[in-house]
Amino acid sequence: MKITYYWLKDFVEIKISPRQLADKLTMAGIEVKGLEEKDGDFVLDIETTSNRPDLLSVYGIAREVAVITGKSFKEPKPPKIATAQNKTDFDIKINSPKDCPLYTAKIIRGVKIGPSPGWLKKRLELVGCRSINNVVDITNYILFTYGEPLHAFDFDRISSEGIFVRRARRGERLMTIDAGECLLDEDMLVIADNNRILALAGIIGGKESEVSGDTKNILLEAAIFAPVLIRRARQKLGIETNSSYRFERGIDSETVQKASACACALILELASGKMTLKKETGLLKTRPRSILTEVASAEKILGSHILPKETIKILNRLGLKTKRASKKMLRLTIPPYRNDLFTQIDIVEELARIHGYDAIPNTLPKITPQPPSLQKRDLVSLTKQTLVALGLNEVITYSLISRSLWGMFSEGQDVSVIEVENPLSSEQEILRPSLIPSLVKCVAHNYNQRQQYVYLFEIAHVFSQKEGNLREELQLAIALSGSRAIFLEDMVVKDTAGLLHLKGIIETLCARLGVERYEFVNRNHNQIIDICISGEGAGSLYQIPRRILNYFDIKNRQVIVAQLSLDRLFAGAVLTKQFFALPKFPAITRDISFILKEEIPVQELLAALKEQGGSLLAAVTITDYYRGKQIPAGYRGITVSCVYRAGERTLREEEVNPIDATLRALLEKRFQAKMR
Amino acid sequence: MDIYSIRTQIELEVNQLNSREALEAFRNKYLARKGIISQLTGSIPSLAVEERAAFGKEVNLLKSQILAIIAEKEKTLAAEKPSTPAPGGGIDIGMPGIAQEIGRLHPITQTIDEITSIFVQMGFSVVEGPEIETEYNNFTGLNIPLDHPSRDAFDTFYIKSPAKNRLLLRSHTSPVQIRVMKSRRPPLAIIVPGRVYRPDAVDASHLFMFHQIEGFMVDEGIRFSDLKGVLEVFAKAVFGKEIKMRFRPHFFPFTEPSAEVDISCIICQGRQLSDVLTSQGKRCSVCGGKGWLEILGSGMIHPNVFKHVGYDPTKYTGFAFGMGIERIAMLKYGISDIRLFFENDLRFLRQF
Ligand SMILES: [Zn+2]
Repeated sequence: MKITYYWLKDFVEIKISPRQLADKLTMAGIEVKGLEEKDGDFVLDIETTSNRPDLLSVYGIAREVAVITGKSFKEPKPPKIATAQNKTDFDIKINSPKDCPLYTAKIIRGVKIGPSPGWLKKRLELVGCRSINNVVDITNYILFTYGEPLHAFDFDRISSEGIFVRRARRGERLMTIDAGECLLDEDMLVIADNNRILALAGIIGGKESEVSGDTKNILLEAAIFAPVLIRRARQKLGIETNSSYRFERGIDSETVQKASACACALILELASGKMTLKKETGLLKTRPRSILTEVASAEKILGSHILPKETIKILNRLGLKTKRASKKMLRLTIPPYRNDLFTQIDIVEELARIHGYDAIPNTLPKITPQPPSLQKRDLVSLTKQTLVALGLNEVITYSLISRSLWGMFSEGQDVSVIEVENPLSSEQEILRPSLIPSLVKCVAHNYNQRQQYVYLFEIAHVFSQKEGNLREELQLAIALSGSRAIFLEDMVVKDTAGLLHLKGIIETLCARLGVERYEFVNRNHNQIIDICISGEGAGSLYQIPRRILNYFDIKNRQVIVAQLSLDRLFAGAVLTKQFFALPKFPAITRDISFILKEEIPVQELLAALKEQGGSLLAAVTITDYYRGKQIPAGYRGITVSCVYRAGERTLREEEVNPIDATLRALLEKRFQAKMR
Repeated sequence: MDIYSIRTQIELEVNQLNSREALEAFRNKYLARKGIISQLTGSIPSLAVEERAAFGKEVNLLKSQILAIIAEKEKTLAAEKPSTPAPGGGIDIGMPGIAQEIGRLHPITQTIDEITSIFVQMGFSVVEGPEIETEYNNFTGLNIPLDHPSRDAFDTFYIKSPAKNRLLLRSHTSPVQIRVMKSRRPPLAIIVPGRVYRPDAVDASHLFMFHQIEGFMVDEGIRFSDLKGVLEVFAKAVFGKEIKMRFRPHFFPFTEPSAEVDISCIICQGRQLSDVLTSQGKRCSVCGGKGWLEILGSGMIHPNVFKHVGYDPTKYTGFAFGMGIERIAMLKYGISDIRLFFENDLRFLRQF
């Protein structure tokens, strides 16, 4: 909201510069967002908070300036307006006083519509309001001055019998002054006569009864409408006006008459004419509200001491009447325009605000430390650190994605997604059930930026529903793609990301988290490897299908992904460490080199070796593998290293030799391996 | 092997003696125990007696010539710089180092970690909450009426659900206040990082998803001065000891008194303050010439919130604060477009 320095001076003496005034207002909670010198005045751009509708006017801000600066507020005298002979018989019917507690109308006859005088035009233009004609400008000027929205109708366009303030009927329409045609319903309040709807109450007037160059007689409306009705209609129709903004926040009933009288007087002065009718419907019962508050309440909440004398002085300046109720208690009477003060804490805030937040000291509270316990968050942190150490970059992507993006990835997945009721765009239609689509998008984005290899992970919540139950769980997803150069001592080798890289990452992660019971299970040869932890499915590794890569324009490259439920992973985590004594006796290692048919999986082979090897065989690992020149097509060369160890003695060669022989025999017979 | 052809050979070899290694090989070839000179000397007894003296002279002459060549070459080589070591012999430290490249944590994660650790050092504990929330936890319990202008600051994504109670994507991390207070008793000192969602049109400073950190403390005798003290420790830890702070009165439905907290502009330090607001010209682009940067919202927890969770507001008081992580990170790192955080360009991520 914009107001000007000299406009404020109409109501309060200001002895400080515009800049100092802006600072003082800001530090009293009335934030001045901008200050600009313009046409010999200073425009203050003010942001008020939703609890203070009384500040939505020059008058209201001036009242606050008086409080802050300690100057007195200049309440203007109400203008005296003679009512010409009351010839007009005009009826105002309010269907529900709840919807419209007060409606005042003044009929002014014989006005001359014309341009506004320079001073009026200038003030309106300074606050960003276009000058239209004298009558319309005056209603706007009074709105900015007092915060009470007024509306002027062309009286000759209204049925002379009277008007109704009523709910619209579903399907009724109104052509507005400048917001096009509106389709109305019964949640909206309108001003209507017998024939048609004249205005959307409190929001915008109708085109037909608009004041124009030919207008001779006007009806000036000043009213109060129910804030919630205005709010709902405004939201439904998407029309926000200076008027709706104020009605939605609440109007001080005392300014209604004041504003109406000032506007009327100004119209008579600038557009001539005579007031021929003054009518008010609805009576406001205003009983001043009172609050009982402890004198010392501020100190308890703020931690700074404000003398009782000072307390009372501040409250009086704010327009509150104070009376000692007891030694410790004050009874406060709240002025009608402060509709935000109800309880003691509201009073404490006012004291803090005017006394100054700067006057409150900085102290440090005593905090009782909680015994630290290992939380999910710590495991997430450990997981992230491990992945980063393995060369993966963490990404953060949007939890909301489009239905079409998910559609590409959801093939064959039995997942019911959660939909957003009010997305702003198709990019926010659903809550993602998997992080993979977003990661693939990230890979594509980075390829567009000419990256050669992209190693990414994200940890975030994923969402799905089953039989009406919403599920939200933490997922880890990894995407690897492209090739990187690995520098060795005598050469550089190209390393292209594949499923085994991903397997290695997950194995390292499991090792770091102390997850022991996990395995990779090949699912029906379709390139999906399931990760099982403690026997339960926890996630999978797979290659993104070519049709999806084509969509993202990823050519000649594979994208390998993994998704893993962190709840499942963490359930298997053991971070407590147990030391095992280092072996005292030397081990004997026997390597077996052989060639193996491609289609024979090594997983089974290793398991069989372990079983056959018995208790002396401590470990079997693959230490070399090779495909190429010396190996026949359809085979691969493999070396396994078998480490033998006896617990409490030195193992002898003679003990190992027969086991080694049985292992070789096993490889030859069961796995058709050929020794090299 | 005649002395003449050996001389010719030596003449050819002399030009190649450009390194110590070559010179050493040269020396060995001719002067070593089984070198050419000793072979020649060894062949003397097999010569005819009359030839022996003359041949011996020739060999001695040859030997002294070789020694002279070596002595001279040693001088010239000593004057030269040491040569690059032969491949395999030494290390060329100009070659790329060999290491596993590490990845980076996202700058938002790094900022969250930094901020939470400051509060954890002060004794706060970290709690997280779900992103799908009830209307009650997100609004009603926090003293935000459903049909009121105070809700306009909290436009919210609702989700389609058959559940009786409307569900939404939390628009701030404050619902975790309600969750924690409903399940635990004071004293509480809690910090809550997490994702939040608001249907805002996307531009350089707005997104429909971002991160917040919420902090709150509840006990007997907690005062606004404690809030000021705690936040001062935080702001100085993140932005430096030199920064100034100010607490401005504001309105939030869930706190009273409420304050917005500004720090002095980290770019211009508010130096141009006296005249910038009134001149259109050279305004600091970070603070808009105001000299202050808003970093968070805070206040004393509203008694109505305590009533909602069943705490006695006459017994307990508390403070709460909340801040946008992206904003803090943008100020800290000098990033001017919030969308960069979610594009995840590796050239961006690798800078942190
Ligand atoms: Zn600045």
